[in-house]
Amino acid sequence: MSKRIPVTVLTGFLGAGKTTLVNRILSEQHGRRLAVIENEFGEVGVDQALVIGAEEEIFETSNGCLCCTVRGDLIRILAQLRKRRERFDAVLIETTGLADPGPVAQTFFVEEELREHYALDAIVTLVDALHLPQQLGDTPVVLEQIAFADVIVLNKIDLVSSATAARLTQQLRAINGTARIVPTEAARLPLEQVLDLGAFDLERALARDSAFLEPPRPFEWAGLYRLGAAALLRIGNDPHEHEHSEHSEHHHDQEHDHGAGTLTQVDVVLLPAPTATDGAAPEVLAATLEPLLDRAAVLFETEALRVESGTALAPQRRLRLPTTQPRELSLALTAGDWALFSEHAPEEFALSLPGATLLHQRSFGSHHHDLAIGSIGLTESRPLDAQRVNDWLSAVLQTRGQDILRMKGVLQFKAEPRRYVFHGVHMTFDGKLERTWSDAETRLSRLVFIGRNLDRGEFERGLAGCIA
Amino acid sequence: MSGAAGVSGAGRLNPLGRLELPEYPVDVAWAPDGRSLVAGLADGSILRVQLAALPASQALPPPQVLQAHTHSVLALAWQKAGRLWASSGQDGRVLLWDARLAEPRVLHEERQWSERLVFAERVNALAVSTGRTLRVFDEAGVLRYQHVGSAGAISALAWHPRAGELASAGNGGVLLHRIDVKGTTGVEATPPAPRALPLRAACVCVAFHPEGRLLAAGLQEGSVQLWNLATGSESRLDGFGARVLATEWSANGRYLAGAAGSELVLWDFSGRSGGRADPAELRLAAHSERITVIGFRPGSNWLASAGRDRRLLWWRAGAGDAPQDAHLLSDECSLLRFSRDGTQLAVGDASGGLSIFECRP
Repeated sequence: MSKRIPVTVLTGFLGAGKTTLVNRILSEQHGRRLAVIENEFGEVGVDQALVIGAEEEIFETSNGCLCCTVRGDLIRILAQLRKRRERFDAVLIETTGLADPGPVAQTFFVEEELREHYALDAIVTLVDALHLPQQLGDTPVVLEQIAFADVIVLNKIDLVSSATAARLTQQLRAINGTARIVPTEAARLPLEQVLDLGAFDLERALARDSAFLEPPRPFEWAGLYRLGAAALLRIGNDPHEHEHSEHSEHHHDQEHDHGAGTLTQVDVVLLPAPTATDGAAPEVLAATLEPLLDRAAVLFETEALRVESGTALAPQRRLRLPTTQPRELSLALTAGDWALFSEHAPEEFALSLPGATLLHQRSFGSHHHDLAIGSIGLTESRPLDAQRVNDWLSAVLQTRGQDILRMKGVLQFKAEPRRYVFHGVHMTFDGKLERTWSDAETRLSRLVFIGRNLDRGEFERGLAGCIA
Repeated sequence: MSGAAGVSGAGRLNPLGRLELPEYPVDVAWAPDGRSLVAGLADGSILRVQLAALPASQALPPPQVLQAHTHSVLALAWQKAGRLWASSGQDGRVLLWDARLAEPRVLHEERQWSERLVFAERVNALAVSTGRTLRVFDEAGVLRYQHVGSAGAISALAWHPRAGELASAGNGGVLLHRIDVKGTTGVEATPPAPRALPLRAACVCVAFHPEGRLLAAGLQEGSVQLWNLATGSESRLDGFGARVLATEWSANGRYLAGAAGSELVLWDFSGRSGGRADPAELRLAAHSERITVIGFRPGSNWLASAGRDRRLLWWRAGAGDAPQDAHLLSDECSLLRFSRDGTQLAVGDASGGLSIFECRP
């Protein structure tokens, strides 16, 4: 089989900047031969590109399953395009702003003829930073477009404050825990950010971005601190203290979903960290934090220990801190480098650590939001039974297919030296054994489900039932 | 064709010659006399091939190259009367060609593709589908009928074999349009509303029974829908695992062939009344990969099929489940087109080969 032509799906609500991006791509001197399928013609068409007008057409099946739909117009157009001897380097499909990209993706799962010649490369969703907060609340299709995405282009970032941009990033991360988020102005971004990403080729996606399958975490924030001999942890909403918090910029600029004033408690975990070299680069510090994430996640699943005034904070425990009034808590920790994982962003409870230096911090997706769509990430170090996984996923697809917008994962099967990788859109599913596990990597099954009203416990129990 | 693998039986596809084309052949239309054909290519050019010298030479003469479309050809059709043929392309143009000249005139142009062209057998009319719009032009190129706003893009067209009626199929069913091109010139201000055969499914292909009483449509979801146009009754032939890309009736109307995936199915309608009872079904399992094209030889029960497995198979409906002849093509088959009298078959492959076979008996 000749190399399959990569297809990028560009989606986004009305006014998000899709046409601007398409015109930019067509205008750039990138030397690639592109075919662009769009519902409305843009103003730019250049010689090396073929711009094809399409009337979005959803083929439903009459078997009663509303989520089994394909795009009939794409079947016809792509079948015609593939006949040229001089092939296109890539195809770009621009959907209408009101479209759910599910049927586009499913078309590539379902239609054998298309799969032979085309490879769905990635779903790129543009969102309008200025209008996103409102759209998240009243425009369900925006949520779906975000949930389906492999790349989310947070466009018009120049129209909002940096704090709002940070908050939007968290919200996007909460909906879709695995997409890459690219902030941009006027849809200006390098072509390689949207084309030829291989996001539906999980092996390639993982090789390119190790965080591709990173599961959503039960904490929103992690900080790497260097503690002095008498460090304290200070929390609470004392207005006099806010300005001195290292996170105060966010605090004043931000209107969080659940507001700083409404928090009554927050869960944290403290873990010892390898000593970082003075002046280490951010990526080195990030790497220091990385191995601790799974351990922290496990501790967040344990019963929380409520901390009262006067209690020293101990490591390796899930600690529940009351936040109704300002407090200073001592740390039962030795001087050195420590990682603090927090259920909420630190500005929400005015966190500061006098006597400590913040070396590195990282935000994770907000997990306690009111949005109907979100991500669930699961990891399992024990080998799985292939038949049980098959039975479980089949049952999940049968019963929750309409609610699961995307799922993907890498699995470790018992007595199988190769990795099993899969991805799915609604009830369509594609999985296969890929390369063998290398000696250098940790054998770990990782799964991510993105969808509506997903019950984490239900998925955890299902996966637990697959352990060999 | 790189070789032939003969199978026992009286029927044969006898190779007459092969032409190496510079591009993927998208469609072929035969002149009514079978002495020439036009082949539309994926680079937008059209080749006119004279076949009068065959079969003595075993080599097809160099074709005449017609610069037709700036992007790939989509469809070709040749009028029964022989004076005109038409082409459409990805450049959005529909061209009408005088068979004696190499210069076309533009019949229609828009940015959306016109994917289907079909000349009527009984009237001099050309049906053109463009997205959800159906247009019918007369021989002078005058627009005589237009229907805008089908439920879905039109994926297939078929003229009724006797009446001035045209079926357009797509997502949501089939529309039967009454076409009167012998009336006044120009588009009718208020053409009669087409008769709708609604379906909650997408129709991929459509074919009238030779007597016009039945209509068969292949569906995206892997089944064949049948309508009895006289009684209004419907039935469904299920059991395909993939989209039904082709449905074809044999000349006597006894057999209906359907292809989906690597499955080729023949239904025998003999002794059935109006398609209400289930016809006998015979599955012909000789292709190992997806079938791309099938076609009944005009005036007969002989059926050709070809696909991704490069096999060109020659079947006689009613003569069991083994092919009567087989040939191995150079590449995936892209098209099969019989000459009007059924004596010749043009076969295109994805490598740019165009082979001509003599059909025996």
